[in-house]
Amino acid sequence: MPELKEKLMSLRDAAGLVKSGSTIAFGGMAIRDHPMGFIYELIRQGIGDLTILGWANGNDVDVLVGAGLVKRVDTSYVGLEAFGLAPNFRRGVERGEIEVKEYTEVTGVDRFRAGSMAIPFFPVMELFGSDIVKHNPDIREAICPITGERYHAIPAARPDIGVVHAPLADAHGNVLYGPTRVLYTDTDIRIAMAAKKTIVTVEQIVDHERVMRNANLNLIPKYRVEAAVEVPFGAHPCACNCLYDFDREHLREYTQAAKTPETFRAYLEKYIYGSKDHIDYLNRVGGMRRLLPLKHGRCA
Amino acid sequence: MVESAKQYTTEEVMAAAISKELKDGEVGFTGLATGTRTATLIVGIPLVAMGLAQHTHAPNFTIMCAGWLLNPTLNEIPTIESEFDCRLLSWKCEARICDDENITYMARRGDIDVGFCSAAQIDKYGNINSVSIGDYYKPKVRLVGAIFQTEHMSIFNREIVMIDHERRNFVEKVDFISGVGYLDGPGARERAGLKRGGPSRVVTNMAILGFDPVTKRMRVESIHPGFTIDDVRKNTGFELLAPERVPETPPPTAEEIRLIREKIDSRGILIPR
Repeated sequence: MPELKEKLMSLRDAAGLVKSGSTIAFGGMAIRDHPMGFIYELIRQGIGDLTILGWANGNDVDVLVGAGLVKRVDTSYVGLEAFGLAPNFRRGVERGEIEVKEYTEVTGVDRFRAGSMAIPFFPVMELFGSDIVKHNPDIREAICPITGERYHAIPAARPDIGVVHAPLADAHGNVLYGPTRVLYTDTDIRIAMAAKKTIVTVEQIVDHERVMRNANLNLIPKYRVEAAVEVPFGAHPCACNCLYDFDREHLREYTQAAKTPETFRAYLEKYIYGSKDHIDYLNRVGGMRRLLPLKHGRCA
Repeated sequence: MVESAKQYTTEEVMAAAISKELKDGEVGFTGLATGTRTATLIVGIPLVAMGLAQHTHAPNFTIMCAGWLLNPTLNEIPTIESEFDCRLLSWKCEARICDDENITYMARRGDIDVGFCSAAQIDKYGNINSVSIGDYYKPKVRLVGAIFQTEHMSIFNREIVMIDHERRNFVEKVDFISGVGYLDGPGARERAGLKRGGPSRVVTNMAILGFDPVTKRMRVESIHPGFTIDDVRKNTGFELLAPERVPETPPPTAEEIRLIREKIDSRGILIPR
């Protein structure tokens, strides 16, 4: 048999697949499970003018806004959960530097449901009377051809690029999740299926045999994957579900630094522009001494 | 005569009052977090209220937490900062939903009878806002966004809004309607296209409020022990309807306090003591 195609790529090359001006969606929710290592590489390469198609966002959007790389965000939430409002996002919106298209959490997810089924919209009946439909012209009111009732059509999302961070993949791009998952893993899968190109960053690249032995855990089969990138602690400082916890101290430092453009510039210099790659970043945030304890007590 | 508890907190008054609003066989929804004031308001107090209902008049009440955990053992809640903390995977519950049949489906089918949420602003018709303060296109403060609030207020069968009583929260008109109350008065929800739901109660640290069935304007139903109608008016930025004599919110009974402190929240995680 001829050899299988390898999808393994360096973080630099994978981020290079994103063109300035792209629409892009990231996996994860609020301050959990985002492909942060990938996002930091976008910042190093200065890939900007991005439209982020999201549903519940956090430091993924906030750091990109702070680096000046975002044109528009479609979402229901940008915040840092227990760490407060997202300072760069807040400033960007208040100064009119970025555009926001409002959705709700579940209609944000509906966009990827529709996108992954290649249907143009998802019908919903829960937005009547809200200012979301008043200020988001992408959501259209229509009449149901079956019942004659009014509904709102939520536009499908087919981002140019979808990036998710997952536990394991093989070199061909088969992505393995753990047997115990949280609710929004399902949304990560919708994003992977809706995107025109899907990039997966994983904690570890494993042997193809391991995929064959755990085929029921392969939630993103290789034919949907453009690139598989090994990025250990690739969600830091987010929690990566079941694998490691938030880096609370770092998130506090981030939130503090993001309060002004000047202090945030210094943060970016120190951790992102100043690090030549992801491993260098991990050393700058404290290396294994700092990172390994984040794994204590995690369930998988 | 049922014996009132000798010692109780305002949060326990709120929880005991809310529990009486919950009926046997209903399904109630909250998010999940512990440790902050907001978490106490929209998670801790509602969970204690639902637990109390299960222990008293509503044994068949179903608690849906954060869209994925059904009827967890409240008294064993781990300390968590997030609705999907991995510690929740070892929290005992009746069902843990990790696939597509989740809260989205439940809410749209009309399975959720009662939900709990909060907001930065609420107005006299019970519209709420968590998107931005000031002009939407030139906001004074950009907040987090609508999240699930819109669905709470539009397709749950009723909503209990949990909010601290401060003048800046209780405004004449919200700057952005991210959760639809009664809009601008009677019939407006229905005209807009909504078929059910809306705020039934607003529960604050000072009072229980409701909505006049005719005008749909917010009115005081009862005031918690230790507060007066003047306290409530002073902290409300619009004209509040009130009966001539406002009753006191009944304090929890000794048995309710025992259930809360021994069976539902023995470690004081849901309601810090």
